[in-house]
Amino acid sequence: MAELLRTDSLTKTFRGLVANSEIDFSLDAGEIRCIIGPNGAGKTTFISMISGHQAPTAGAIWFKGRNITGLPVYRIARLGILRKFQTPTVFDNLTVYENTELAVLATPTPPRERYAKILRTLELVRLAEVVAQVVGTLSHGQRQWLEIGMLLARDAELVLLDEPTAGMTAEETHATGELVRRLVEELGLAAIIIEHDINFIRDLRAPVTVLHLGRILVEGSFAEISGDAQVRSVYLGDA
Amino acid sequence: MTAAGPAPPSLGRRLTSSEDGVAVLALALFALLPVVVSGYSIYILPQYMLHGVMAMSLALLWGRGGVLSFGQAGFYALGAYTMGLCYRWVPLVNPAYAGMLIAFAVGGLLAAVLGYFLFRAGVRSAYFVLVTLAVSIIAEQVAVSQSQITGGWNGMYIDRMSLTLGDAVNVSLFDDAPMYYFVLVVVVAVYACLRWLAHAKFGKVLVGIRENEDRVLSLGFDVSAYKTATFAIAGALSTFAGALYGTHAGFVAPSLGGVLFSTEVVVWVAIGGRSSLLGAFLAAIGVSFLSNYLSALIPAYWPLILGMLFLAVIIFFRGGVAGALARWTRQPATRSAGNG
Repeated sequence: MAELLRTDSLTKTFRGLVANSEIDFSLDAGEIRCIIGPNGAGKTTFISMISGHQAPTAGAIWFKGRNITGLPVYRIARLGILRKFQTPTVFDNLTVYENTELAVLATPTPPRERYAKILRTLELVRLAEVVAQVVGTLSHGQRQWLEIGMLLARDAELVLLDEPTAGMTAEETHATGELVRRLVEELGLAAIIIEHDINFIRDLRAPVTVLHLGRILVEGSFAEISGDAQVRSVYLGDA
Repeated sequence: MTAAGPAPPSLGRRLTSSEDGVAVLALALFALLPVVVSGYSIYILPQYMLHGVMAMSLALLWGRGGVLSFGQAGFYALGAYTMGLCYRWVPLVNPAYAGMLIAFAVGGLLAAVLGYFLFRAGVRSAYFVLVTLAVSIIAEQVAVSQSQITGGWNGMYIDRMSLTLGDAVNVSLFDDAPMYYFVLVVVVAVYACLRWLAHAKFGKVLVGIRENEDRVLSLGFDVSAYKTATFAIAGALSTFAGALYGTHAGFVAPSLGGVLFSTEVVVWVAIGGRSSLLGAFLAAIGVSFLSNYLSALIPAYWPLILGMLFLAVIIFFRGGVAGALARWTRQPATRSAGNG
């Protein structure tokens, strides 16, 4: 598979505090990658630099062979890198339909095809039945799915999911895992997922990158990672 | 929480579908008014309608985009002075045409430049309000200090405009009724344009910015460009309306651009309902009428009454009169947050 995203010695410091240190990372088209690590490992900082919400102190980010380091958020989104935030970031006072419509309006979809695209997306994320409901009245899990749906409706090629199952029931978590698999297998998306839920990560059967103190500690399959002594000591051991 | 099933359309949509009917009715009543009424009302109403255009520009900026400006009256005064200067300096063509055109362009350009630097720099909410307050203060101060051009405290006299077309047509708007109808046509045109804009993609993105700026940005919209464009449109409209106000009133003084009047504009829009263009327009007329009447009757208490009205709206009716009406005339909304 072709390389979709690469970072070269990506580094971010906040007033001397090193959040990310020389991260060399690579992701193929259509790949899912989980990023795990203890609190403060620099996971959110890492995807914030990819999405353009934070500018790197040093290093470079390449997307489809193009240097995107330091581009503004909206320009990166237009390239197809879309981010889901840790807390659901949706339009709580608007309806499910209006939320998804705004995502579609950001794409060059012709007006007469917008309606079908909105409904198609909402069916995929299991929200077709609440299409006219105001988002603030939905469950936490449904709002998480809506945000993922909005990334799809925006024609994402790479989705950055920051704790997509946070606050979900076991059942919702399982459904989210299935959703993510479908996105990758049916729509050919690539995904970088920050997660804490070990069962969710195991079920995804995806490669894992472990961050610790702003550096990549180790990368590999879930089986390799969970057998790694270093990882056990810093992360799984106290989980 | 609501039960599943056919959910009602959003408050925004309910507001607008009912609003169109009210708008047609209100504008038709305005068109008929000179037939039954004459005298002072017909003289003063166009001025209030032009205030209403300024209020609609703020309803777009604040109600849709979530950007509150205390500077709209500064633009309004700029327009009135521009009209006055055109009558003094522009030869050959109809100075009123030049005044309207130049006011629109200068107001839009000024707001665009100001907005570009402020929004690029990420100036938001309270800080933006402070900057626009400064705009009002600057407008008033410049009008006072540049007295050789503006007349300073004494103000500037402006001729009443005529409608001309080459040498063939020359319709004087010196009488109240013709001027009234000319302003009404302008109002209808502005309302139609703004209504269209609010329902187009542009307006939807603005509502998104008001509701959650980060999400809109992360979907790939250039948020600061949208805000700049909106501020420019609002600035151009306010300045344009101010130019017409100048030629209608025949006189402009520095206080037209001052903080006091700017604040009054915000009060109108809050009372009318900031997400309703029509609500803002009608509130501007209604409160101006009341202000004119009561400030003669009880000059000491009127500002107090206005202030309390404003507080009541902010505390009890966040959506203003339009928002409250929409909520009462239809079934209870699914949203508790309202539209303001």
